[in-house]
Amino acid sequence: MTIDLREFNELSRKAAELMSETADVPSVLRNRLGEQHDLTHAAERMATSIETFVRELRSFDASSEPAVTDSYTNPY
Amino acid sequence: MQLPEADLEYLIRTLSDARSRATELAVSLGSRLGSEHRLTELANTAASNIETTLRDIRNAATGESAAGTGLSDLQSALRTGTQPVAVVKETLTSPPPPTISFAASAGLDGEHWLSVLVDELLAQARTSGGITFERVERMLQQRKDEFLRDFLTARRMYRTYPRLFPEIADETRPLTTPSTI
Repeated sequence: MTIDLREFNELSRKAAELMSETADVPSVLRNRLGEQHDLTHAAERMATSIETFVRELRSFDASSEPAVTDSYTNPY
Repeated sequence: MQLPEADLEYLIRTLSDARSRATELAVSLGSRLGSEHRLTELANTAASNIETTLRDIRNAATGESAAGTGLSDLQSALRTGTQPVAVVKETLTSPPPPTISFAASAGLDGEHWLSVLVDELLAQARTSGGITFERVERMLQQRKDEFLRDFLTARRMYRTYPRLFPEIADETRPLTTPSTI
């Protein structure tokens, strides 16, 4: 399977949407429960991991990646 | 927990959608770049953290709801001198168990996702005395996410241990190639 750059850009767009739609979750929990609440910490970890994912996705050069094949090739 | 019902509903809906999106992204990246690629792992980490946050919020909400219902029932019972309503309702309105399961009547395997979903919906409707469109949507989304996770795991297993799945390997092998295994 070859990497389709347009499809990859679509994945990047979806990831950015994911980050945008969850951006206010930590602040909602922080305002309601306080900064030290376990749920607030969990939401902040979640937001950080999404941000890291989106940042890496944006800086990723899809054209330099080797293709990955889905089909199994019999080695024998 | 001091979360208003509106906030709770918003958080659960937002995180349910986000979990679905993150899982789909992880599956898409895994199929293009491989399951061991850093981007796939980051997507899986994000999906896992969303899942954890969603589960914690649900657990907190469920615990509070259950505790609140029990206390109000007891207070009501003390005021009126009767038994809590929930106890009476449960014993009087519980429907008899169905003689024929949904899976059997629909000709589905008992482990089919639709059968599991219907059972969960019926159980939810019985225990809470009703069900909303939002809850049905969330439960369907959970089934979909579980399916995607299982699919990802199965594909990873097949790629890592293809010889454990000879029937699939036979299907993907060209017909003109003689089998030498």
